[in-house]
Amino acid sequence: MRRDVYQAIADPVRRDIIDLLSKKPLTVNAVAVKFAISRPAISKHLKILHESGLIEFDQRGRERYCQIQTQHLIPAFLWLEQHKKQWEERIDSFESYLNQLKSQQNEQQR
Amino acid sequence: MNSNDKTVTIQRTFDAPIALVWSAWTQPEHIANWWSPKGITTQIVAHDFKVGGHWKFVMPMPNGQEFTAEGVYTEIVEHEKIVSKADFKPMTEGVEIHALFQAEGAQTHFTFQVMHPTVEYRIQQEKMGILNGWGSVFDRLDNLLQEGVSS
Repeated sequence: MRRDVYQAIADPVRRDIIDLLSKKPLTVNAVAVKFAISRPAISKHLKILHESGLIEFDQRGRERYCQIQTQHLIPAFLWLEQHKKQWEERIDSFESYLNQLKSQQNEQQR
Repeated sequence: MNSNDKTVTIQRTFDAPIALVWSAWTQPEHIANWWSPKGITTQIVAHDFKVGGHWKFVMPMPNGQEFTAEGVYTEIVEHEKIVSKADFKPMTEGVEIHALFQAEGAQTHFTFQVMHPTVEYRIQQEKMGILNGWGSVFDRLDNLLQEGVSS
């Protein structure tokens, strides 16, 4: 079963990892060196983030990159505001399409 | 927006007669033209415009993901009101959307509402308490999301 996103971000170390990875994808090693905890402990945190869908692993040659999956964070981050913004944009798009339709009709009537 | 509000409400007045607004909002060949942000196509997989009718729109994202919006119409009053149950995956599931239309001369007043179920909303709010102090992270994620939508 997929792990709950909120459970994944309840831990401060995992939040710091997300913070890091939101800047750019990093290798597992690059993540590990930023923290004063053991490499196995970091691996465990990354596993939990992966199981919750928040990060994906991307094998590039010998390096394994951790990449943040923003779409799974949307429900957690001010989801309602984000949601409203999307609808505002969609309705803007509707309005400009409407204006386009209207001017097409006007031209046909001429 | 008030963060305690579980309903998203958007009001507009369109400079177009209600018949045109209604058909642009309800006909699939029109919907495909405005539903997605620029550069992203909307595939109208299903659109059965009647009470109990199913609709489903699919948007392939540039990064290979797919956004799906689907639902079932629960109330339709011509030139007045459309109510639908809706799921937006992977973001907002189990909502009810209301579109209200009102003619005034050659203009149309439009009210759009997305209602989030109370229980889900309460849980979301409680969980959001965890997120206090995440400002800068959110700004960056917001930028990432914007890039995802606009690129």
